[in-house]
Amino acid sequence: MEKTVTLAQGAGGKQTSELIEQIFAKYFNNPYLTADDAAVLPVPQGKMAMTTDGFIVSPSEFPGGNIGKLAVCGTVNDLSCMGARPLYLTCSFVLEEGFPMDKVDRAAEAMAKTAKEAGVHIVAGDTKVAGKGQVDGMFITTTGVGEITEGVKTGGALARPGDAVIVTGDVGRHGCAILLSRNEFQIEADVKSDCAPLWGTVKAVLDTVKDKTGSYKDLHVVRDATRGGVGTVLYEIAGQSSVGIHLQQDQVPVDPAVSGVCGMLGLEPLYLANEGRLVIFTPKENADAVLETLHGLPYSGNAAVIGEVTEENPGKVVMHTPIGGETLLPQPGGELLPRIC
Amino acid sequence: MKAAEQAAEIIRNYDGKKLRIMEVCGTHTHEIFRQGIRKMLPGNIQLISGPGCPVCVTPVGYIDEAVYLALEKGCTITTFGDLVRVPGSEKSLASARAEGAKVKPVYSPLDALEYAENHPEEQVVFLSVGFETTTPPSLMAVRQAKKEGLQNFSILTANKTMDNAYLALKDSADAFLYPGHVSTITGTKIYYDLMKEGISGVVTGFTGPELLTALAVIVKKSQEGKPFFMNCYPRVVTDEGSPSARKLAAEMTDPIDSEWRGIGIIPKSGIQLKEEYADYDARKKYDVPEMQGHANPACRCGSVLKGEITPQECRVFGKGCTPEHPIGACMVSGEGACAAFYKYGRDF
Repeated sequence: MEKTVTLAQGAGGKQTSELIEQIFAKYFNNPYLTADDAAVLPVPQGKMAMTTDGFIVSPSEFPGGNIGKLAVCGTVNDLSCMGARPLYLTCSFVLEEGFPMDKVDRAAEAMAKTAKEAGVHIVAGDTKVAGKGQVDGMFITTTGVGEITEGVKTGGALARPGDAVIVTGDVGRHGCAILLSRNEFQIEADVKSDCAPLWGTVKAVLDTVKDKTGSYKDLHVVRDATRGGVGTVLYEIAGQSSVGIHLQQDQVPVDPAVSGVCGMLGLEPLYLANEGRLVIFTPKENADAVLETLHGLPYSGNAAVIGEVTEENPGKVVMHTPIGGETLLPQPGGELLPRIC
Repeated sequence: MKAAEQAAEIIRNYDGKKLRIMEVCGTHTHEIFRQGIRKMLPGNIQLISGPGCPVCVTPVGYIDEAVYLALEKGCTITTFGDLVRVPGSEKSLASARAEGAKVKPVYSPLDALEYAENHPEEQVVFLSVGFETTTPPSLMAVRQAKKEGLQNFSILTANKTMDNAYLALKDSADAFLYPGHVSTITGTKIYYDLMKEGISGVVTGFTGPELLTALAVIVKKSQEGKPFFMNCYPRVVTDEGSPSARKLAAEMTDPIDSEWRGIGIIPKSGIQLKEEYADYDARKKYDVPEMQGHANPACRCGSVLKGEITPQECRVFGKGCTPEHPIGACMVSGEGACAAFYKYGRDF
């Protein structure tokens, strides 16, 4: 096989088949993935969730993952936040002529590994090759389908005063890892992306809420914080639900290295991207049980309650600062970092 | 946090006459907001934002000069990102860029120098703004350029010094919160000299506890009825400051009178490169005509910078003038008072 991607590999002939066989089919091997024009799949019972996402992260490999892992996590997490067990994924690749084949291989390998962990099958795909300079490296678009757990209804408009605001781990790591790996600032720090598939986490939280209260109704909002960070999610929820959110700044978990980098560059960790963090809104009474569950799972060891929902200041996110002051978390806006996911 | 609690207590319990405190440094303005300190103050303590934002005090004509160099002389403008969207009399550098001008944001003048070294075919001008902290790197870039005999690098200076500004603002406040990092260059002698002029103040750092402590010190000392100064940032600010930074400025520049937006001309508050560096002074190198800039008549940045009005008292604040569509520099700059009020204090 060629060491770099060639135009011939996008032409649909022999070289395309070789590329698919030797990389994609090799890793994505499962009974639904055939060489036919479309996958034939059993239809999920009950309601179906469907989502699509494009991935153009630069650089395509970064501490903690690569574009392939990100593509699977991003789509799996979108489905999970609707209470949907992820079932099937499709992926479409657009590769740049000359892109190193070993990077394509590593991306595909990571996709397979992550899909296996998430319990999802990659059932269809497509590969195109664009000429040098017509696309940057490797772009992936995925579509995911999942089966909604009956009785689960979460949504941005469902936050209520008295809800605890929980984040499933320290914030801003993915954005910080990408920023550092672009090396524009010549800062060295040990920061790995938090990129992770979260269906397991969501399912465990759903089960905890059901065990405690008899139904899923108390799980008001589950949202994955991606581009724009946790801060953007909080403002979205505050706006959609017409509630205020009161945060305790010193309760927001931030990795010390991320904190240091943000301090140097004047960035707010709450606005850096994540790719493996959930924001959960559930009545305060459930917070301890949810936290206990989260602390026992691989991607939420430092989950924390960071605040609560209030009637006052609807649409605003207010921060209680360590010295006892109160300030507004600045509203999100502008482009912080391009091509973060 | 014990010190912070004690300081907060002193501030909360102040029951003397109205105390006006001017934060000179734009970063102090932002941090005071970010820490929630404004809301902790009783009604008889007024915090006024002062002219410590280098982009904000740079007159409109400077942007016009930069636009002229970009569009008429085809120079590549290298600049701190903040300056790109500041409105000039007709247009900003961002608009000039949309018309084909080369405008490149950099993080330091040394990055601009490196760019010039790597692009000998481009005439590179660095927009040199800032106070005592930021001036030395600009001068180092010029010194290095001269050493290398570079023909395609120069700086357009609007650097300012704070010393005479305090005198010009004497009546605007009862006490100053002096800028933390400018003081690492100047040292503290200036503040003792200002005491003799009846001007009081405290230099402080940027953490919540440091800011609260400084305000508490001002509250206590102001009740003693005589001018005072205290260094509340001793871990960084020393009495002697940085003699080498001051020496560099003295060797390479002369003090000149300088226009501060909204305040007017403050004597000997600006700098100009000495004659031997004329080739690196963009105004001389490109024969830039004198530009009498004119601001948008609705803009009240000048009054904000003098502490005469709060940003909210400006009629266009948050309406015609927002960070996305700024009318004046105070709304654009990362250190601007209007930007700080918009970001943290609007409706809260």
